[in-house]
Amino acid sequence: MNKLVKKTLITAVLAAAAFALYYNFSLLPGYQDLEKGISDYIITYGLHDTGSLNLITAVLYDYRAFDSLGESTVIFGAVSGIVLILSRKMLPVSSKGLSFIVKRTLGIMTPFIALFGFYVITHGHLSPGGGFQGGVILAAISIIFSIVYGSAFDYRRYSPQTKTVLETGGALTFLVIGLAGIVMEGAFLKNLGFLTAERGTLISAGSIPYINIGVGFKVGAGLAIIFYSMIQKTFEEDF
Amino acid sequence: MDIKILFLILVPLGTAFLIPLIDLINAKLRRFFVLLGVLLESYLIITIITGNLDNFRNGDFFLQYFLGGWRPPLGITLAMDGLSLLFVVITAVSLFLVVIYSIGYIGHHEGKYYVLYFLIAAASMGALLTADLFNIYVFIEMLTITSGALIGFKRSEEASAAAIKYLIYNVLAGLLFFLGVLVVYFNLGTLNMAAVAQNFADLESGIQLFISAIFLTSILIKMGIFPFLFWLPKSYDTAPSPVTAVLSGILSKVYLYIFIRIFWTVIGFEVITSLNLNIFLIDLALFSSFLGHVFALQSNNIKRLLGYSSIGHIGMITAVILLNTEAGFYGGILHIISHMFMKAGLFVACGYLLQYTRSHAYGDFKGVGLRNKSVFIAFIALLLSMIGMPPLLGFASKWYVLMAFLEARSYFGAFIVIFGSLTAVIYYLRYIAKGFEEVKLTEDDLKEEVFSRPLLSVLYREKIVSFITYTYAAIIIGFGVGFRFFDLPLKMSINSIMNVERYIELVLGG
Repeated sequence: MNKLVKKTLITAVLAAAAFALYYNFSLLPGYQDLEKGISDYIITYGLHDTGSLNLITAVLYDYRAFDSLGESTVIFGAVSGIVLILSRKMLPVSSKGLSFIVKRTLGIMTPFIALFGFYVITHGHLSPGGGFQGGVILAAISIIFSIVYGSAFDYRRYSPQTKTVLETGGALTFLVIGLAGIVMEGAFLKNLGFLTAERGTLISAGSIPYINIGVGFKVGAGLAIIFYSMIQKTFEEDF
Repeated sequence: MDIKILFLILVPLGTAFLIPLIDLINAKLRRFFVLLGVLLESYLIITIITGNLDNFRNGDFFLQYFLGGWRPPLGITLAMDGLSLLFVVITAVSLFLVVIYSIGYIGHHEGKYYVLYFLIAAASMGALLTADLFNIYVFIEMLTITSGALIGFKRSEEASAAAIKYLIYNVLAGLLFFLGVLVVYFNLGTLNMAAVAQNFADLESGIQLFISAIFLTSILIKMGIFPFLFWLPKSYDTAPSPVTAVLSGILSKVYLYIFIRIFWTVIGFEVITSLNLNIFLIDLALFSSFLGHVFALQSNNIKRLLGYSSIGHIGMITAVILLNTEAGFYGGILHIISHMFMKAGLFVACGYLLQYTRSHAYGDFKGVGLRNKSVFIAFIALLLSMIGMPPLLGFASKWYVLMAFLEARSYFGAFIVIFGSLTAVIYYLRYIAKGFEEVKLTEDDLKEEVFSRPLLSVLYREKIVSFITYTYAAIIIGFGVGFRFFDLPLKMSINSIMNVERYIELVLGG
């Protein structure tokens, strides 16, 4: 097939798809009003039910915690898949990193970045943020290390095994808290009543902060593992 | 509240989470741990069946579990009725057989393989059990990501290309499904399937059409029906055999379940008929089936051929279910069961037979049957069942499908069933004949044989692999004689498809 025919075919298919989408969207009636349904209930009683000031976290880790377990499992699966396909039996590409000034500056800044990451994770039930977001910040530290100090730096300090342990540890924390719900409260992933305290304090909202910590470690370690499998060297005869 | 159905999801999930830790301690323990997980899962299913035998006979079998203790419209509910029970049982049997096969087949990167495998198991159980629209989306996404990674398991250029193609198509389908879920929540304010089903008929017909079209496109991509079938043969070809068995034996059946659940329970078939979608869909599915068989006829690669024939069968099943008659469901679900075992068995047998050939091509199939006679006989039995020979399971299911088409006076459908069987005779007999051809090796051939890399370097537990192949053949022959065994479960599942009000009442009423 020559190029022109192929291009016209692709254009025709894309145009047809665009038309179908446009037609489909034109079927939708104009915006009337959001059907409130269960969101009304959550806005009214969410704080009372869960003790979490951040209602999004309340939905994520209490009302629909099973979905979050699924979503974090998706990340777990993606990490395993990427490691399976990309991992090589070689150390990562080594480099000397950037200049002395950058290294020194980052050395001063790193503790604060880590602190911010942990803040976002542990205050998920009080302010915007949570495990997923904080985990990404923690993973960013690992990535910045490899760029600024050279890729062998982080690799030597935290081996892939350590990261795997952190990741599965986070996943198991989520699962164990869910199972504790069965034993203590009678339902999987039910909020643990004995952990609740005064609203708005750091240790309140039942099991939500602990799930947040588990998810934070899982996401952080998982993304770091993905990054390090992607920068590894490739060679022809590898198996 | 029945906690066993929750553990159907949690056992494979926990196994998947623990395998990396076991790996770090002692990699040899892994195999026993995998077996432990599978056996626990089977034990759970057996206790569910034996504990509810009376309910099966009375026809009031229903189990559910409220996650987090939140009652239906608020939280997520797991529900198991006759339809999901049937699918859970056959999925679990397939998962069990394929995992034992994998212990014999997979020789490298076992740790990650089993993690992904058990995630697939957990996700398919979750998709079969959940009664919540967003939750089903989460499990679909999990299925897509994990199976995409397994398709690229061989890490060759071809495998990566197939995996990327698979991921592009299927992630797109997942996004469309998500859009549909969003629009449903926007208009109805709830995600529980029963609550959505209760109010769906009151929506304006524009929104109804939009939601149906979006869900339809997404599920058609996932199942591989005509306009979107092009990702399927490539990924079936390059994935290792156990993975292909999972793809065609489990994933496509899970998507068929989701198709039935969404279009009969959630949206309701009356809505589909009032939108005039059903006639169009039957024709589309039958045309897709026709195309599948025609492509299979010209295919020169055994695994790709089986992929095309899967397209043919899935199209036929979709069409016969869409007839919306009792006979149609009976034939369709019986064919889902038989196709699940036949196709998985064929891929499993292929994995054994193709271990020392240079490629999957027709020419290299020469002499395969002489080298491994007994496995090849099992392979032939499975092929004959695909064609629809009388004492085998494929015959029984195809007979009921044909009867359903004739009863509904859909002569195009009846034609496609016969046409599929006839073309299958042509394209399978070719391979059987080639398999029995004598190979005369010359010096050059031997040299080429030695220096060309075989597709699979080690198959290090041959006995297990061939044993599983015989098991599949035995299932096909045994249930082919005694297909009446499926009468009760099929009646139960037809009952739960047709009786939507009861499902709504049971889920919402607790």
